[in-house]
Amino acid sequence: MIAAPASRSGAEVAVRRPVNRPRVVRHLLLTPTAAWTLVFFVAPLALITVFSFGTENLVTFGINFGWTASNYGAFGSSLYLGTLLRSVALSAGTTLGCALLGFPLAYFITRQRPNVQRILLAGVIVPFWTSFLVRTYSWVNLLQNGGPVDNLAHGLTGHHLEVLYTPTSIAIGIVYSYLPLMVLPIYVALERVNPDLYDAAADLGARPWRQFRRVVLPLARPGLIAGIIIVGVPAMGEYVIPEILGGGKTLMIGNIIVNEYLDVGNYPFGSALAVSLMAVLMVVLFALRRVQPALEAR
Amino acid sequence: MSFRRHPVAGTMALVVIGYLWIPILAVAVNSLNKSSLMARWGGATAHWYSLAFHDANVRTGLVTTLEIALGSTALSLVIAVSGSLWWRRAPARARAIYDALVYARIVLPEVVFATALFFLFLKAHFPLGIVAIIIGHSVWNSAYAAVIIQARLIGLDPAIEEAAADLGATPWRVFRRVTLAALLPAIIASGLLTFTFSFDDVVTSYFLGGSSSSPLPIVLFGMIRFRITPEINSIGVMVMLFTVTLMCAAVAVFALVGSTGRGRRGAFAEFYGR
Repeated sequence: MIAAPASRSGAEVAVRRPVNRPRVVRHLLLTPTAAWTLVFFVAPLALITVFSFGTENLVTFGINFGWTASNYGAFGSSLYLGTLLRSVALSAGTTLGCALLGFPLAYFITRQRPNVQRILLAGVIVPFWTSFLVRTYSWVNLLQNGGPVDNLAHGLTGHHLEVLYTPTSIAIGIVYSYLPLMVLPIYVALERVNPDLYDAAADLGARPWRQFRRVVLPLARPGLIAGIIIVGVPAMGEYVIPEILGGGKTLMIGNIIVNEYLDVGNYPFGSALAVSLMAVLMVVLFALRRVQPALEAR
Repeated sequence: MSFRRHPVAGTMALVVIGYLWIPILAVAVNSLNKSSLMARWGGATAHWYSLAFHDANVRTGLVTTLEIALGSTALSLVIAVSGSLWWRRAPARARAIYDALVYARIVLPEVVFATALFFLFLKAHFPLGIVAIIIGHSVWNSAYAAVIIQARLIGLDPAIEEAAADLGATPWRVFRRVTLAALLPAIIASGLLTFTFSFDDVVTSYFLGGSSSSPLPIVLFGMIRFRITPEINSIGVMVMLFTVTLMCAAVAVFALVGSTGRGRRGAFAEFYGR
């Protein structure tokens, strides 16, 4: 892979100026990833951005360029706007849920002996490896009326849960699926902390809540922000979980995009929705980057 | 176990781990459940497993999935290994662009990416099917693989390669015997990881498969949406056992050889924490 082109084009040159050869090699190494990323990642995203400003001709099914913003105008209708807002709310809520459940877990794991840590980490990670689809589907069985969770709730409160196929069941499914992605970066951040710091804070008279706020939380911040990004950003475009646990009723923006593309075939409008989602996410990412400039330095 | 010192965090930790495992246990129990409503236990049966074994859609789906996973893993590794080797010596600004694109491929919602690639293939008259899915998977899989391989590269001291060169090894030999040898655990681990991701994927395959090729997750997705049957649970148990075995192999490879000098535990966390 490396030797062939160098000996073909650079044999003479290489003898005179050995510096030249690594440059050939360097370009060769860059080619696959650059070509792949440009052609199959950057170009398609640019393409839908351009087409999101086009219109579809209903007679010929051709797409005209007119640099119209009408696709974004239709987006302002209450149905789509409501769905986008619901997606943002579900993403924000489930990210918060992941942080509230994941933080104590990650902290607790770092305070254990290495062997126990390994077992607890496996407890978090192994479910993450197993079929995402089947695990999500399993919640349908668990949450349905007459299912185990409903029976438990009925026994305790006398009321049925009626939670399946609502935004709540979507949220349960999202938190469930993304939780390990929150726990792991927080764990990585806290694992580097010298436990003496906690003792020092206690010795200096900090109460547990103050210890948490002034010592644990600042130290965990890079991990927490990484977790917020890898949970919150993909969760906003979630498609499979609302499809299974939303029962087709309470849809998220991802479902509408898929619907516009694969069922309706209105590509300009579908593209406008996808580009809007991307735009919202970029704003969120830039905001988070201001909060944590050191994020990229990890 | 310092459970008594952290009663609140400890209780929460155990509850959360329970939350993560209960659906998996439910799948396993229901795969043997005679009651097809799956709300309560109706006695044990192996019926759903034999149904899954004899389901033609499941069989062809499995073969398609394996082809896609193998193809996209191979492609991803070529892209990630060559890219990471370039990245190691690249100027800072080029590196930052490369890093941003790796990061974007991991974080961008799959729906947006799959839509865009579907549209590109449509406009370019590129046929949808297995090849299209392999290309799609390799775009995000190569980013995951790159992250793992780069973590390993950071820990590789260039002095070792310089020493090999000083001792008379040709550049190709240095690459093969030092660089590639050092990267091998990361390559194997990321290969197993990307294989698993590809094996489990729904969204990209759903868009790029067209009407001709349905990998196993798409078959399952169709079953879940249109005809709920406990067969899903038995297929699920088998798929889970398969992917868990693969991932355990990945961790074993990574943990045994160690990674970036922060010990096994560091390697373990780093492997997932990025």
